[in-house]
Amino acid sequence: MNLDPRTKMVMVVCLSGLALLYNTPGQLLLVFAVTVALLMIFHFELGVIRDYLKPFLSLMLFLLVIQCVFSPGGKVLVAAGPVPLITAGGLSTGVSAVLRIMTVAAAAMLFTTFSSRDFILGLVQWKVPYELAFMVSIALRFLPVFRDELGNVVTAVQLRGVELKKVPWREKMALYRRLFFPVVYGTMLKARQLAVSMEARGFRVYPRRTYLRRLNLLGADIAVMLVCLVSTIMLIALHFT
Amino acid sequence: MAFLELNRVSFAYPKRGRSALTEIDLALGRDEITAIVGPNGSGKTTLTKLMIGVLQPSGGQILLDGRPLAGYSLGEIGRRVGYVFQNPDLQLFCGTVAEEIGFGLTNRGYKPEMVEERVQFYLDYFELGSYRHVFPLHLSRGEKQRLAIAAVLANEPLFLILDEPTTGLDAYRKKLLADYLQKIARLGRGMILVSHDEPFVGRMAERVVTLKDGRIQSDSGRKGNTAHES
Repeated sequence: MNLDPRTKMVMVVCLSGLALLYNTPGQLLLVFAVTVALLMIFHFELGVIRDYLKPFLSLMLFLLVIQCVFSPGGKVLVAAGPVPLITAGGLSTGVSAVLRIMTVAAAAMLFTTFSSRDFILGLVQWKVPYELAFMVSIALRFLPVFRDELGNVVTAVQLRGVELKKVPWREKMALYRRLFFPVVYGTMLKARQLAVSMEARGFRVYPRRTYLRRLNLLGADIAVMLVCLVSTIMLIALHFT
Repeated sequence: MAFLELNRVSFAYPKRGRSALTEIDLALGRDEITAIVGPNGSGKTTLTKLMIGVLQPSGGQILLDGRPLAGYSLGEIGRRVGYVFQNPDLQLFCGTVAEEIGFGLTNRGYKPEMVEERVQFYLDYFELGSYRHVFPLHLSRGEKQRLAIAAVLANEPLFLILDEPTTGLDAYRKKLLADYLQKIARLGRGMILVSHDEPFVGRMAERVVTLKDGRIQSDSGRKGNTAHES
């Protein structure tokens, strides 16, 4: 389906908004199912969606465990003597957190169906200042860069002879914690180098920008946006009544 | 017996039309310094990444110390083969220069005194002593290159693969590096140098493998063989 980037942005905002608003597994499962169905309409195969979500698996498992243990409530499902370990309420909160991440991450796949140039153009035509639109597009571009950076570090660590699979869990967490800040700082350094290199090539040298191309919202775009916005507003209203 | 052996190894990057490497046969021992040369895009870095298990061949087999490479974990490979990436930014991940050099040893359970001794030696040898507490990515290109090499050498691997090790190094630092590599080669560490630096290759390599379009174009100076062209 060939829709305007702005229509897809509205779809992502609606789906992510609902995922953040809802807090029961049933509701969240429904939003996730709608997200997957939409992705399939945009020709994403199930295998591709699964591969895209795979890197989030460890984060999801971590959140599931944390929520299960630290959000107790309702019937006790697993206990260690008198101490409740997993409760129905904790499990529900944990599953909800996982579904929320899966929905937001899956909805973001729609951003990959158009170029960052179109993304900026779309926002600018909606009167968003160019610098702000550009900043958002760069931030989106840095997410995969950051993921690759983490992947590189994990590979480099292992190539120094550290067998991560054999490192005890507690030591592994300490190792990751120690590596996290240098990696984040390294990414920030690269962002600063990018800014310098852009300015050296004349970024913002003229106060007014002109554009060769314009994006045009077609009837289908307006219809899809209306359906998304109206249904989201209705669902939000229903949620609070 | 060859330490690293490639038998009819091929590789193609997904979503790219042509094959990056085609039916590569190579046997590399721990008693020689081999240079892999060739134009940009000829498959040199891809070949080295296959040798350390970061990429998996789409055809053929790689043996490390007589065992299929696929049977080793990356950590096990890292203990045997030290790899210096083409871009040092990809392999520097610690908070300080000293931590970077000592990382492998610390995490393999070496005593702190021994780690410190080794760290101090490499800081002195590669003239990085004044940067001991500096964040590695704040160093210049040449300093990062020296640090990446020092961090790999500190692990004392059996075999080394250095991808463009002289990038960013001045003539004096190149000489220091060459002297050290020749010294450890004499101690029975084999190595592969991927480089466009002809004088450095000429000084160091006993054997030169030339790649072109993902195939071995020539392999000269092999022990027990005269120059060979394919």
